[in-house]
Amino acid sequence: MTRPDALPKAEGRVEFGADLSAPRMLWAAYATAPHPHARLRSLSVDEALATPGVRAVLTAADLSALLPKRKPDPQRPLLVAKESRFQGEPFALVAAEDLATARAAARRVRADWEVLPAFTDLTKELPSWPTPEVMKGDDRVNAHVLASRGDFEKACRDADVVHDETYRTNMVAQVPMEPHACLARVRGEDWHVRTTTQTPFGLREDLVDKLGLPTERVRVEGTWVGGGFGGKNEALLEAHALLLSKRTGRPVRLALTFREEFLFSRTTQPAVFQMTSCVRGGRLIGRRTRLLLDTGASLPGRDFALGYALGFTLGPYRLDAWELEGYALRTHRPPFGPHRAPLAPQCSFAAESHLDSLARRIGVDPIAFRRQHVWEAGEKTAFGQEVPPFAAAEALARGQALERSWRAELPPGGGIGIAVGFWSTGTGAGGEAIVRLCPTGLTIVQGEREIGTGSVCEATRAIASRVTGLPMEAVQVEYLDTSRAPFDSGVWGSRTTIALGRAVQKACEALLHDLGRRGLGLGRGHPRQSRRGAPEVRLELFRGRVMVRQGELARPLVALLTSQERKRGGVEALGKEYGRSHDIDRSVVKDGELYPYSDLIASVHLAQVAVDRDTGAVRVERYAAFQDAGHVVDPEGYRGQVEGAVLMGLGTALTEEGLLTPQGRLQNPGLLDYRIPTIRDVPSELQIVAIEGHPGSGPWGAKGVGEPPIIPVPAAVANALADATGARVLEIPLTPERVARALGIISARAPTQEVPGMPPVTPTGGK
Amino acid sequence: MSFTLHFPTRLEEAWDLLEQGPPGASLPIAGGTDLLLGLDFGRFAPERLVSLSRLPLQRLEFGRDGVRIGSMLPLRTLELDERVRKGVPALAQAINEVGSVQLRHRATLGGNVVRASATSDLLPPLVALETELTLVSRGGRRTVRLEGFVEGSWKTGLRVGEIVEELHVPSPRPGTYQWQRVRPANDISQVGVAVVRHPKNGGGPSVRWRIVAGGTAGSFQRLTRAEACLERDEPSEREVAEAAREAAGEAKFLTDLRAAEEYRRHLLRVLVRRGIERTVRSAATAGGG
Ligand SMILES: Cc1cc2nc3c(=O)[nH]c(=O)nc-3n(C[C@H](O)[C@H](O)[C@H](O)COP(=O)(O)OP(=O)(O)OC[C@H]3O[C@@H](n4cnc5c(N)ncnc54)[C@H](O)[C@@H]3O)c2cc1C
Repeated sequence: MTRPDALPKAEGRVEFGADLSAPRMLWAAYATAPHPHARLRSLSVDEALATPGVRAVLTAADLSALLPKRKPDPQRPLLVAKESRFQGEPFALVAAEDLATARAAARRVRADWEVLPAFTDLTKELPSWPTPEVMKGDDRVNAHVLASRGDFEKACRDADVVHDETYRTNMVAQVPMEPHACLARVRGEDWHVRTTTQTPFGLREDLVDKLGLPTERVRVEGTWVGGGFGGKNEALLEAHALLLSKRTGRPVRLALTFREEFLFSRTTQPAVFQMTSCVRGGRLIGRRTRLLLDTGASLPGRDFALGYALGFTLGPYRLDAWELEGYALRTHRPPFGPHRAPLAPQCSFAAESHLDSLARRIGVDPIAFRRQHVWEAGEKTAFGQEVPPFAAAEALARGQALERSWRAELPPGGGIGIAVGFWSTGTGAGGEAIVRLCPTGLTIVQGEREIGTGSVCEATRAIASRVTGLPMEAVQVEYLDTSRAPFDSGVWGSRTTIALGRAVQKACEALLHDLGRRGLGLGRGHPRQSRRGAPEVRLELFRGRVMVRQGELARPLVALLTSQERKRGGVEALGKEYGRSHDIDRSVVKDGELYPYSDLIASVHLAQVAVDRDTGAVRVERYAAFQDAGHVVDPEGYRGQVEGAVLMGLGTALTEEGLLTPQGRLQNPGLLDYRIPTIRDVPSELQIVAIEGHPGSGPWGAKGVGEPPIIPVPAAVANALADATGARVLEIPLTPERVARALGIISARAPTQEVPGMPPVTPTGGK
Repeated sequence: MSFTLHFPTRLEEAWDLLEQGPPGASLPIAGGTDLLLGLDFGRFAPERLVSLSRLPLQRLEFGRDGVRIGSMLPLRTLELDERVRKGVPALAQAINEVGSVQLRHRATLGGNVVRASATSDLLPPLVALETELTLVSRGGRRTVRLEGFVEGSWKTGLRVGEIVEELHVPSPRPGTYQWQRVRPANDISQVGVAVVRHPKNGGGPSVRWRIVAGGTAGSFQRLTRAEACLERDEPSEREVAEAAREAAGEAKFLTDLRAAEEYRRHLLRVLVRRGIERTVRSAATAGGG
């Protein structure tokens, strides 16, 4: 099975965001704040405007004239008006006849900045857990969550062992190979943008909000997306491009450079996890997590991340008593944004490293310890929900068997680690799809774009093919803009195959039902018609024509269509999937919000590492992922998602981190020193095991797969490292230098002095 | 930015092009893997790029006194050549670590030398191998030692209009290139060390060791105090440890976002030790040299 987008992509024939162009198009560029926190004393655009070829320069002062109806929101400025909130925040936009001119003019927008103190280092500002009194008056607190069940203090008193550790994680970025890019055009009342997005409808809502326009006047059309990973969920540059188009009356193309991608796309910022667990008689009886979460320049009200993250730090384990407390802090880093299983790899790193070190401390096998406590279907989660079908226990048992065989062959100095991740699909947000059956085949009509996972261009077709009986090649996907497509909430949250897939499944079922009701044109009262339990309707393709079959009878589709349907070209059906709502036991929540789970998805991963004891370098040699699949809809696509997620997780585990100067400026906004894995970093052995039979809410019991397999990767590697060396590295990524410090090869603390300025390391992007 | 791109097929033609305009107006381009970045960063704004790809600069010849490598041979060609791997393992191992396969299909030794990057993986082995360069210009041909030729990033003794014709690398020479990076592939080395063992001039039992570090600070550094600790074919464990200690003591190190000074110093010590040990071991299995 070859994906329909494979060859066109290999041949460079698909149109990504940066490929978009239009007659009379202008090219746009940003002028961005050089300091994370600075007051804009004065601004001059004269020189930029005077540059030959420049057609418009916009600053915050120009916006109200372009958006008379918009209530200005001083908290969420479209461009810096008074103060930069993070390095890279745009303060001016330029549109010009070519890109080089636009960029040159952007550099000529003169800004005078008064540098203000920047809050970019959680550990420095809050070296120990802050008292409630301190935090009450702190306006940097975006959100606070406090929740508990049972008496954690008492559990500590009763315990044989109380285990305390603090884990740290660093900034990681999504790094899609395709930067954000869009082409905007405002014509009269029509605000139209073609853009590289995971969520055309969500982006439209965001634009409506940012621009103060009625929904029906904003039209979003997705392009092929060169990877999203959560980074292409909200409107980042579309509003800017639209405003430039509004001002100039011409189509405007705006694309981010890689440097800008790192500086101002929405991503994962650092977190500090204080983990405490208590054990009595070999049983885990209590757990407390205290979490400080850097949510960058985000604002209150957009902080679901904190409550969501906290839940994952308890792990899928039985506990008598637990307590969760966390603060989401507003800092001078880029605003927090979703990122493939937002924060779950970080939470799993803290929680699963901590559990592992606890098991080793009390002398229990770490896998056996997990098996002893892991949730089984039917019991209650920490938040009092009933655990739905869940493969964690089975995955752990299979992981344990594999671990034994690996250990028998383990070379000296190597180590094996296991980690568990759990996740819940974003099924609550709804979706709809239309299927249109024509005499030559079936078309799935919907509003998403393929972002690379295959969930739109391949999995929806596999589902339609399986429901209807038509071969894959007779099923195609049509991509419409938001003014014409049925609503869907986007390609995010591992939901596409699950929710959009269910909508497609339901639409196909409705279509067959409709055709079944028509009978096969054999006339009223035909025995096959009236008999109860008549064979289901199936479709097939015969010499390029769609046939409708019921039992032994088959008729060409055309024969079943009304004359109107024939004129329209076919028959349509709509499928809707809005999921089921879930809730938690609200009595556990003392302050803030916690969130319910829908499907629960387990990932149990095993990593084997080799550690260079002289240098601290860690190499992952064998890797195995046991995934709670529910049901695999598209085996090749499934495997691709797991492989990709494991590799991406290895980046988080080993090499990826945003490095800031003490002044809070990002030192490595480029692919040279922000190190994503390369093909040579793929472990030589990578086993992927899809465990079926614990059904979720997707088609035939499928569960989401986009996010879950990234979650346990950092913890599995860290646990393998601990197994090999006995040393616990409390911070990711596990770079050689960090490991060398933990192993005592060099001094424990890294120098904090300002490092000399580095030369720019990335080219300024495409031409 | 706009420039014209030329493909001369004879050296005279290339010189005609390179001599046009003020300094910087005409630049030679080899694989372009560094030059294009330089254009992107605004370091250069040439009017004309003179491609060296069709000039006769692609010789690869093994003789009694070593190998002559045309400056325009792609690194990938060298990497796949068994004689290069056997004869000058230190260079072959380093080439194998430059960027990615795609990059090595374009990048050249000549470009690496003239770029003279502080973090070059190829300068340490080339210097440790006591490489000589042949430079050609309208005025004639001259031969220089690489060690004195490289002055710093983008700075060499190359004169205007001069082209690196080939590199002369003594071979066979047992040796090795040891390196460490945050990410093993396609990254800049935190420290790279080339160790090469030369026979004493005129033969005899005694040998000459060359130890050259890169990536530690500024340009490559020859570690002469470490070299002085080694006199024999197979130094004792104590001598090796001594050389590694001396290396860590004499080299200069900087702290940057890729590594702290302390870690670089430690790495150098480990890698020098390994480099000497592996050179001895590989020489033994290769049957001397
Ligand atoms: C992604 C990436 C990864 C990299 N990884 C590494 C690495 O791991 N290790 C490493 O050492 N380097 C690395 N490099 C640097 C680079 O690839 C090498 O320095 C390369 O060998 C340069 O060769 P080139 O032929 O591309 O030179 P070019 O870019 O064509 O030229 C570089 C300079 O040399 C001059 N020049 C070239 N040939 C001649 C000649 N024959 N005579 C006179 N002047 C000449 C040019 O005018 C120019 O000034 C990397 C580069 C990139 C882009």
